Amino acid sequence: MHELTVRQGTACTRLSFEGTPILADLLAEHGFPVQRPCGGRGKCGKCAVEVSGCLSQPTAAEVAAGARLACQTTLLGDAQVTLPEAPERARIELSGEASFRPLAPVSGRLGLAVDIGTTTLAARLLELSTGKTLGQAAMLNPQTAVAADVMGRIGAALEGKLALLQHQILQALEALLNQACQQAHRDPAEVDVLSVAGNTTMLYLLTGRNPESLSHAPFEADCLFGQETTLLGRRTLLPPCMNAFVGADITCAVLAAGQCLEEGPSLLCDIGTNGEIALWKDGVLYVTSTAAGPAFEGAGISCGCGSIPGAIDQVSAENGALQVHTIDEAAPVGVCGSGLIDAIAALLQLEIIDETGAADEDEIPLSGGVSLLSRDIRAVQLAKAAVAAGIDTLLETAGVAPEALTHLSIAGGFGSHLRVASAVAIGLIPSSLAQKVRILGNASLTGACRLLMDAAAQSSAAEIARRSQHVSLGGNPRFNHLYVEHMLFPEQE
Amino acid sequence: MDLHQISLKLQAGKAKDVKALVQQAIDEGVPAHEILEKGLVAGMNVIGEKFKNNEVFVPEVLVAARAMNMGASLLKPLLAAEGVKATGKVCIGTVKGDLHDIGKNLVKMMLEGKGLEVIDLGTDVAPETFINTARDEHCQLICCSALLTTTMGAMADVVEAAKDAGIRDQVKIMVGGAPVTEAFCKQIGADAYTPDAATAAEVAVQLCSK
Repeated sequence: MHELTVRQGTACTRLSFEGTPILADLLAEHGFPVQRPCGGRGKCGKCAVEVSGCLSQPTAAEVAAGARLACQTTLLGDAQVTLPEAPERARIELSGEASFRPLAPVSGRLGLAVDIGTTTLAARLLELSTGKTLGQAAMLNPQTAVAADVMGRIGAALEGKLALLQHQILQALEALLNQACQQAHRDPAEVDVLSVAGNTTMLYLLTGRNPESLSHAPFEADCLFGQETTLLGRRTLLPPCMNAFVGADITCAVLAAGQCLEEGPSLLCDIGTNGEIALWKDGVLYVTSTAAGPAFEGAGISCGCGSIPGAIDQVSAENGALQVHTIDEAAPVGVCGSGLIDAIAALLQLEIIDETGAADEDEIPLSGGVSLLSRDIRAVQLAKAAVAAGIDTLLETAGVAPEALTHLSIAGGFGSHLRVASAVAIGLIPSSLAQKVRILGNASLTGACRLLMDAAAQSSAAEIARRSQHVSLGGNPRFNHLYVEHMLFPEQE
Repeated sequence: MDLHQISLKLQAGKAKDVKALVQQAIDEGVPAHEILEKGLVAGMNVIGEKFKNNEVFVPEVLVAARAMNMGASLLKPLLAAEGVKATGKVCIGTVKGDLHDIGKNLVKMMLEGKGLEVIDLGTDVAPETFINTARDEHCQLICCSALLTTTMGAMADVVEAAKDAGIRDQVKIMVGGAPVTEAFCKQIGADAYTPDAATAAEVAVQLCSK
């Protein structure tokens, strides 16, 4: 038995362990979240720590990073690690509709609607008789400590960590419930029913279901939910997923947007690590999911950060120079997703980078020691190309010209702060839609609320899922062509 | 004309310029294989080398390859008329169960950038499809890609299928993708593992010329 001493700020914790665990795994098991946007492959450097004691030799990745990385270091005996102080909690998107008409609410006193995102969790406490929001709560998804992305978590579940992942999310759910009740000065025992949206994988892990069918082609989910179950001893609604890639979160977002109630054709996008896109036309909901990577969430970007004080969240080009705004107008500490898009749009406008993404300098200073590197610009190119090519592929498949769309709804936290003009300038969304954008906020959470407040919404959700048709992008030659075309930025006018 | 200009424009990803310069070279009577070698392939070699050294990233490679394809499309009929043969023939695909083909596409572009003829079998490719294509099309090399730990095992099936079909001594097998390692390559009896697309193209040329 060996001991790891963990110092964080003024706190000191001793963890005992057996065998030779990877440092990041041991920390994660004991509730010290370790950022692993690269999936623990030693590539992103986000888990750099100060560690000493009985350790493995630095790996090639650690030598390259010039630091010990928690995901690469194996503990061979007693050791001491100093972790960065817990980061200030990032702002998590809770916006969306705040009150609902109780058309035919499910029976009970209070209901909790939850959106389980791959990265963040958000919850809203509703009084079922009135449809009023009494409280809300948000936190990071604790499963990120095991793996940052969906595939990483599926892999972990298949390697025997399914119970751990389920335990983590149930615990988080209970914490959200208590937090929201505390805020509302209500007793958690009054919460009779839950409505939980999330992508397909998140619902598998929540219900402890083996995600083997989600791990390889043909990627046919063996369960799409759209059912009731019992979680935390309460009746729980699990809305239907559309397929392995497009989950109940998107069903709920489409429900919240009322997309399938309109004539159309219209488009809905939820832009995050995965970009989910839904196109409604003539009674068919064409849906797809495109791998944007974590760049829009500020991960994998050298100066990237969440929406924390000091994050550069707005950049513009004025009189030939960059103008920068930070959250709470604090000293700049990094760039969050919306600031990143703005920065690139401004750099294109100033012709500091050209349409291929090339710049004369490898490092472009933004403000107060925060700089964009050329590899950051490249990461954004990959991300925006995946989303833009996904949109184009869906439009082509359904035979819809972008000009014919009545509107584009943008759901999700990243989209809520996105400036449309910048998104158009970098080619993330088609220019013809610039005037037709609706920002929905956390539409998945809004949809989950609707399910609690209106019994008819449950059949609407089932109908949305039934009318969905998946358009596969992997191995789609048209998508591959468009992906390369969209790697370029639009020519500046 | 100076074919080096084509190489420079290709490296910068300026597809329209590459196309115009290739057309100009053709009009000036420069043999197509010379334009290909000294212009396009030379440019892709520089990009490949920089990619290997982490000096450029995936988007630059894709954009440069796009420029290469624009120029190469003008040269294709002329190369055929000149009787120029490709330096080798390769089939490539992601293995059964795997739909993630961005890495595979990148390797394909780099292989073409080396002047190899590439048959793209796409995604979720069954072992027998690799084997039948290699046999019927006389490929010297099979390239298998996998992004998932759950699907990389299918690479071993390709090696086994080549043995069963009795063509293992006629065809080389290369493997790659995020979870694949040198040790895994040895373990399943494949011929080569490469960590990136540029190295893959170099090794492919070596294996094809053996």
